[in-house]
Parts: sequence; C-alpha cells; structure tokens
Amino acid sequence: MSSKQNEIQHFQKPYWNPYLSGIGLGFVLLLSYVIMGRGLGASGAFSTLVATSINAITPEHARTNEFYSEYISDTSKSPLKDWLVFEVLGVFTGGFISGALANRIKKTIEKGPNISIRSRLIYAFIGGSIMGIGAKLARGCTSGQALTGGAVLNVGSWAFMLAVFGGAYMIAYFFRRQWK
Amino acid sequence: MNIPFYKYGLFGDDVSLVVAFVIGIGFGFFLERAGFGNARKLAAQFYFNDMTVFKVMFTAIITAMIGIYYLSVLGWMDLSLVYLNPTYIVPQTIGGLILGIGFVIGGYCPGTSCVSAVTGKIDGMIYLLGIIFGIFIFGEIFPLISNFYNSTPMGQITLPQLLNITYGVLVFAVVMMAIGGFAVAEWVEKKLGNKIMEP
Amino acid sequence: MKNFFQNLSLNKKLAWIAFILGLAAIFAGNPYKGNSFSLDAKELALIVEKEVDHIDVEELADWIIQGKADYRLIDLRSEKEFNEYHIPTAENVQLSGINNYPMLRNEKIILYSQGGIHSAQAWMLLKAIGYKAVYILRGGLEEWTDKILFPILPQNPKPEEIASFKKLIDVSKFFGGSPQTSGKEELLAKKPMPKPEMPSTTSAPAIAKKKKKEGC
Repeated sequence: MSSKQNEIQHFQKPYWNPYLSGIGLGFVLLLSYVIMGRGLGASGAFSTLVATSINAITPEHARTNEFYSEYISDTSKSPLKDWLVFEVLGVFTGGFISGALANRIKKTIEKGPNISIRSRLIYAFIGGSIMGIGAKLARGCTSGQALTGGAVLNVGSWAFMLAVFGGAYMIAYFFRRQWK
Repeated sequence: MNIPFYKYGLFGDDVSLVVAFVIGIGFGFFLERAGFGNARKLAAQFYFNDMTVFKVMFTAIITAMIGIYYLSVLGWMDLSLVYLNPTYIVPQTIGGLILGIGFVIGGYCPGTSCVSAVTGKIDGMIYLLGIIFGIFIFGEIFPLISNFYNSTPMGQITLPQLLNITYGVLVFAVVMMAIGGFAVAEWVEKKLGNKIMEP
Repeated sequence: MKNFFQNLSLNKKLAWIAFILGLAAIFAGNPYKGNSFSLDAKELALIVEKEVDHIDVEELADWIIQGKADYRLIDLRSEKEFNEYHIPTAENVQLSGINNYPMLRNEKIILYSQGGIHSAQAWMLLKAIGYKAVYILRGGLEEWTDKILFPILPQNPKPEEIASFKKLIDVSKFFGGSPQTSGKEELLAKKPMPKPEMPSTTSAPAIAKKKKKEGC
C-alpha cells in the first residue's frame, strides 16, 4: 500500500455517488411508508420543541395560540413523545455514525473563501429563521414536503418543490459572495 | 400483506417511536453520505457547480415512488391509508419560495442542518438555532396570518387526480423527467464543474 | 444484451433500471385497488351481544375535558343538524361517505347519531372493511343532551344522587349546558342548545391537530 493511499485512509473519505445515496435515502423513505404509512420530516420536530418550551414558560399564551396549541393539546402524554421528535433524534445519530465512519467529524465552519466567519454565522442564523418561517407556512420542509409528498405525487409538494428551487435560483446571484 | 403495518394496528404508539428513531438513523446516515452536512456542497447546487442536491433528491423520490407504486399494484399495500398532506396551493408555493431563499442564505434545510451540526459544523448549529427562532416568530404572528395559511385549500389531492391521467403513466413521466434531469445535470457539471467531492 | 448492460457505467445502469421500471408502470395498473375484508360473523355477534363496543356519554365527556386526543368522534347526522349543535371535537361525516373518510384502521373511532340506528349501521360497515377500534356512543346525542347538557336531579333525591349530581353540574357547565334541579315543568320547555364550539377553557379542536401531527 502506497503512503498516499494510507494518508487518504486517515483523512476524510469522499462523499458517495449521489445516485447511490439517493437510492439509499429513497429506500429509507419507502421503509417509512411501508412500516408507518407516512414519510419523513424534520421541521415538525422543532415546532414541537418550540411549542413545548412556550408551554413551559407561559402555558396561557401557548394554549390560546392556535399554532402552538396544535402541538400540545394532547395532555395525556408529553408532547415530546412525538414520532417526528424521535425521528429527528435518529437523524442526529445517523449523521454522526456516517460522519464518524468517514472521518468527517470536525469542528469547522462551511463558507466560501471571501466571507468572514462572523458574517457567515449571521447569515446562517438569518437563513435558518427564514427557513423556519417558510417551512411552517408551507406545512413542511424539504424532507416533509418535497421528499415525502414527492414520492406519493402530492400536488402541494410538487408545487412546493418547484417554488423552493425557483426561490433559491432567484436570489442565488445576490449571495454568491458567501459561497464563491 | 398488511402494508402500511402501523395503520393496520400491527404495533402501537410506543413501538412506533422506536421505529421513528431507527428510520431517522437511516435518513441521517444517507444525508451525511451524500455530503449534505456540508453547506458549500448544498449551496453549490444554486450556482450550477455541483448538482448533488438535485440528483440525490430526485433519485430518492423516484426510488420511493416506484416502490410504493408496485407494492400497491401488487395489492400488498393499501395506498389509501398512506398519509397525504392536504394541499393549500398558494401558501405552500409562497412558503416554498421563502424556504428557497432561506436555503441560499443559510446553506441548509432543516434535515441537513441536523446532520451538519452533529458532524461539528458551527454554521449548522447556528442555523438550527435560526430555525427554532423562525418557528417561534411564525408561531407569534400565526394569528395574523392564519387566514392566508388556510387559504386555497384543495384537500388531499395527487397529481394523477389533478391532471386526470393514470397513476402509472405519471410514474413513468416522473421517471423520464428525472433521467432527463440527471443527464442535464451531468452535462452542466462537466461544463461548470467545480464539484465538491471531499469535505 | 447482457454484454451491453455490463459495459455501461454504474450511473447508466441505474438509469436503465429506472427507465424499465417506469415504463412497466404504465401497464401495471391501478394502485388504488384497495384490500378487501371479510366479516367474522361470530366475532361480530359476540361483540354486539356483550356491548363491549359502547362508550358512555360520561366517559366521553371526561375525555373531552381532559383533552385526550386518541380518538376520532364522528357525528353521522346531517350537516344542518351538525351545524346547529355537535359534541365538541366531533367531525361530521355522512353515512354514505364513511368508507372513504380519512381515518386509520387502528384509530379509536367513536360514532354517534341522534339515537343509535345510524351509528349501528356505520359500526357494521367500518368493522366490515377492517377498522379495529370502532365504538358507539351509548344512547347517541339524545343521551348526551339528557345526561351531560341538562342533567336532572330526581325529586326526593338520595344522598348519593346529590353527590353525583354535584359532579355533573361542573361537567354540564363546561359544555355550556344547564343542570335542572326541579321537576317536570322545566323539562317540557325546550332548552336552547349551546353553541357548537369548543369550551373556551380548552384549546383548539383536536381534529386539526391530528392532521398536522403527521406532517413535517
């Protein structure tokens, strides 16, 4: 074994062929449909988290707000005992396993070369907030709408998916400094 | 066969949480494998440098779509028991546009940011906090926008119903669109290629 | 042919597989065949005889107050009657449409109509197509009205009757009804039904929440 190969083994491994990753992801989604009759999700778990926190701080406010109350109105069990919450805990775990196997776990900040760390983190927060609002307005995110609904040919999900790509390409030019 | 198992009551809610965790592990694993824990790779999609987002998403969609379709045609799966998110066309389209904008600015979507955060990316962690803040904002303004949120309802509707073509033909059309899209994506990458293969 | 396939790159092989599966999909048929179910007559007869499939109005009232959300309450009356009054958290479904209504086969489904005939018919239908946990509200809306909304303290009550009546007062007020303490004269006068809204002390209707729960 040459020293170069050896070196590569110690360093981070390349990402998989996208089609193989996609098939893997597709089978996970299919399995979810077969076992549970529902697809995947992500942002819903965070909604539950937010609603539960608000409920802990000001129960009155949480109960009168139509959005929060949907997540907490079942008082017979903890709102965190929710399917999506456990699924997202699994996502964290699975991501960690895959990252660890490929030596990809490393404290870094992903950004283009022409932007400061501070700006990148501010953008990340703003982007996340916008995403949170958009995902709730659309009743789901890229996992819960695009992937999940896409596979069962849901009309709203396909409209959503086109809009996501449309919105992103529309403004990509203005944020190129962050990535290029 | 009684697919989907859960909807036929083959196991209860507590077991379903274990299932959720296991399925989540698979989901997170393949997201990370594809390189979706890396904001640069995700964002490169929107500059035509790296079309991985498109390829992975559509491969996953057609894989699951074909699987669901054949299981149902064989009579093993009751498709009518599968959960369909009801369509509210205008708020969903606007939500999609907003989400796309957030994607380019922040570099992630909710699922990928989990994977990013857990593999040590600081920007992914901050992004997660952003999502939580965004949902909080949405919750606070919800009473003001609930009319819009519930506007243009179309019910639980699928593309074959909307377009009035058979399910099988639509499956074929989506597969063809995806294969065509992949060919274009490969070509674009060759032209503008700046693929991010390694972290 | 085999050689041709072997010489392709991995990506092209996958594309061919997808193409073939897609093409075959056109001719494969309709995915919504739906599974058929058979009735186990003996089992059904047993259930009917033992009345294990009934739920009392007091029990239901208790669940609603607690905000329990593990059931679907189905109102089988006409839309007009439903709009005039319905039990909180109920969903209006016509008997003719119940087999197409989005409910899960493992959900706890509680049926009610004015009396009990329609619920019994719907119960049979749902059982026949494979729903596991279907219940009938004993006595239907009539009993709900008499026992929960406008409970009556019998004349010359016994001490235990007074005690249970006191408990009912709170329940009745929760649902916007009014308990009756005196005799028949008042009974004859028609009571106005409370507005069909969820009592203000609890949160939004459970129906909306359940739909959201499966979304992202």
